[in-house]
Amino acid sequence: MLDLAATFEKNAIDAAAQVRRICAGAEAVRSAVEALTNSSSSIALGASEFLPGGFVDALRDLPGLLASPTDDQLARAEIGICGAFAGVASSGSVCVAMGPPLVTLTSLLMPLHIVLLMADRIVPRPRDLFDPACLDGEGLRRNLVFITGPSATADMGPLVRGVHGPHRLQILLLE
Amino acid sequence: MSQPIQTSAELNPRSVANKRDKRKLLEAIRMALEIQSPTIRRNTQTFNRGRYQATALLPDYDALKDEARRIKETSIARLPELIEQLRKVIEARGGQVFVARAAEDAQRYVRSTCTRVGAKLVVKGKSITSEEIRLNHVLEAAGIEVAESDLAEFILQVADEQPSHIIAPALHYSRERITALFKRKFQTELALETGEELTQFAREILRQKFLHADVGVTGANLIAADTGTLMLVESEGNIRMTSVLPSVHVAVVGVEKIIPTRREMAPFLELLAASGTGQLMSSYTSFLDPPIGDAPFAMAGKPRRPREFHLVLIDNGRLRMREDAVLRETLYCIRCGACLNSCANFQTVGGHAFGGETYSGGIGGSWEAGIGKLENARFSELCTGCSRCVNQCPVRIDIPWLNENLRNRLNREAGESILSGALTTLTSAPEADERSPASKLFFGNYHWFAEWGSRFPRIANSLGHSRLARWVLERSVGLDPRRKLPLFPQKTLVSAAVRTDGNCAADAVARVALFPDVFTNYGMVERGLAALRVLRAIGADVVITDSLPEGRAALSQGLLATAKEFVQRAASLLDTQIGRGRDIIIVEPSSLAMFRRDARHLLEDSAQFERLRTHTFEPVEYLTRLLRHLGHNPQSVFDVGRSPVGTRLFYHSHCQQKTIGAAAATEEFLRAVGFDVVSSSVECCGMAGSFGYKKDFYELSMAVGEDLFDQVRRAESETAPRALVASGTSCTEQLHAGMHREVLHPIELLAAILRD
Repeated sequence: MLDLAATFEKNAIDAAAQVRRICAGAEAVRSAVEALTNSSSSIALGASEFLPGGFVDALRDLPGLLASPTDDQLARAEIGICGAFAGVASSGSVCVAMGPPLVTLTSLLMPLHIVLLMADRIVPRPRDLFDPACLDGEGLRRNLVFITGPSATADMGPLVRGVHGPHRLQILLLE
Repeated sequence: MSQPIQTSAELNPRSVANKRDKRKLLEAIRMALEIQSPTIRRNTQTFNRGRYQATALLPDYDALKDEARRIKETSIARLPELIEQLRKVIEARGGQVFVARAAEDAQRYVRSTCTRVGAKLVVKGKSITSEEIRLNHVLEAAGIEVAESDLAEFILQVADEQPSHIIAPALHYSRERITALFKRKFQTELALETGEELTQFAREILRQKFLHADVGVTGANLIAADTGTLMLVESEGNIRMTSVLPSVHVAVVGVEKIIPTRREMAPFLELLAASGTGQLMSSYTSFLDPPIGDAPFAMAGKPRRPREFHLVLIDNGRLRMREDAVLRETLYCIRCGACLNSCANFQTVGGHAFGGETYSGGIGGSWEAGIGKLENARFSELCTGCSRCVNQCPVRIDIPWLNENLRNRLNREAGESILSGALTTLTSAPEADERSPASKLFFGNYHWFAEWGSRFPRIANSLGHSRLARWVLERSVGLDPRRKLPLFPQKTLVSAAVRTDGNCAADAVARVALFPDVFTNYGMVERGLAALRVLRAIGADVVITDSLPEGRAALSQGLLATAKEFVQRAASLLDTQIGRGRDIIIVEPSSLAMFRRDARHLLEDSAQFERLRTHTFEPVEYLTRLLRHLGHNPQSVFDVGRSPVGTRLFYHSHCQQKTIGAAAATEEFLRAVGFDVVSSSVECCGMAGSFGYKKDFYELSMAVGEDLFDQVRRAESETAPRALVASGTSCTEQLHAGMHREVLHPIELLAAILRD
């Protein structure tokens, strides 16, 4: 059988995302996030409805985490963390389902976006999420964004990574 | 006398955006060649290579194209009903839908929406449709600040220029020119010498706009009627910001973007990204059902208004295009830009020359004609019909056919002159083509002149090279004096070939008929004779048919009635041979492509077209099949050691030959025989039939050819020269003009190395 996680990892890296494969557990998530942040970081945490609840709860007392941030604080925050709805192996995309508090903004406003993806939610190709039988057909009902690497532009001459959206995309792949 | 053409330094691209007046087209070409060309070439060719690579990674690329095409056909067929379904869905969710019949209606609606909510700042995602309706101008006139947030649109807003590309609107700007522009306009001391510095500079300005905007205006790549879902594709993140941060979201969307269901967006996901930017997926592909539930963003001190969503559906001529059998195809366009990036002329001059006020490239003419006036499509003259875009279009639009139709319509509006009347009589042009311009009648009826020239070759050749005659030809039909005219042969192919009666010898390995196309019969006779010699040497029973024009020249000039008459006559001649069990060999690829591709639009009998499509072959393509069928190794028939030009070749296949899939065979066959072959990778040589012979386009044609010449030079740079080999008549002329060396046809070379 094709190893979807390995294909996903390779293609996400090709798309200039960073990928860390970690063991799916609250402790592992916490220490992986801590390694990417420091006490002076200003961090916004979005709801993560497709992860076991404990994973996110373990991040609630992270140093620098904004408890219930105002929009002004969000505009200045440096790191956004949220869970992914799905991953796409062929393109290395993560798919984020908007709606729950701060998911949209944590995947958009901050220079560093850390996204938590359960390996069993990786599908082979983007179009699979438009199949009613895939992931409970949720892909056909939700506001979604497929995120493939950090924001980028070639409009200023050479390819530049980091434009209006996040400059870095860090994927924590939970297995 | 007409006014002199302005020098490029004085030109603002806006002043040549509308090319109703042909002089503007010529000025724009000159401006592009002098200032923009190297940057456009680099950027379009990067996209083009990326597209070939990305589409090759899609295992079901062809099936995706078929699926996308089917969805678009259904959508446009059901459009009025889908508009109503979409309206109900959006309104049930609390959004507003406005169908704007004309650009002014859309302007008025968006302006009043903005003023009603007291908007001072509108931020825009990239939307070429909003460019079409000139939205910025209207909002600014109402005292509202408009911030273009896509970096390319930001550059254009600062420079006050129109887009030069459908998806990369500032593709004509080099990094150096952006630096100069920003320093001049923003009066900044910052260095701004790298892409990163320029991006950071623009990002800081625009981040403040996103955070404080009252209204966000986006377009949409597609919109689903069943759920009201917008599909938005981008790489910078600006469209996401624009659509989710401000409390009011206005989406300005052409009605043709509506498809029946959200599920049917699936095939477009990868297809659009791969065809457009050559990526597997763009950085961001959003699917939004607005008004979205997220709370609008509000910085301190700003009231938090409830979300509003307004869908402004733009008709602006589209429903009329839907009733037009030709322009209807345009509505299938998903605006990926593949036809721009794969076009040799576009790669050389970009969309300020090969484009109008909004839309550019191969598909641009149909858009401009559909949403405005036919004359606005005059720039589509730069479509040479090379057909390289045809296989690149993700929804299988036959773009050259659209442009040939636009040319036909423009021809009819040209008005008759004494010369065009004379040419009409001489060539017995059908009534529908009678009023066409003299230049079109001349180039479209090349066979007539070739036939007469070949009756008196000595006189015609010396006359054709006299200064007086060239002066007359330049002034009357626009034939460029710098181009060498082909020499008429002492004997045509038909008279030089030994006629056989067509009875099949009992032991013949194949039965074929050689069709002496106009270019081979009255020009490149040696090629035809070589094809006969090779086929007979292998044991094929070959007859030669009469020579008839097949309509290619007429089609390329937009003389559709003439082309139809010619191709029908030639088709019936060839169909008779097919009925007798013969395959048809055609040396000139542009003639062959008529029967393999273009004739589908011109022949009434689709079964006849199918017979022609499957029984006509390029000589080396046929040779490959025949030897494979016979189980012969090419080296048992050909001895590379006998080559009069050595074993190192540079091979350039013809653009239309590539499109019909008859190019790779030649390359592979030459290698199998034992040649060391380097092939050109250009889309087209720039001559493109008669295009490069026209004085208006000579410089452009040579500039396009420069890519090919450069590839020859690079293939020879560190080693010995290579013999030049090309399959097309006009490619041969172009290569000869650029490299000043003899150019052989592959079949001539093969005939020279036949084993005894």
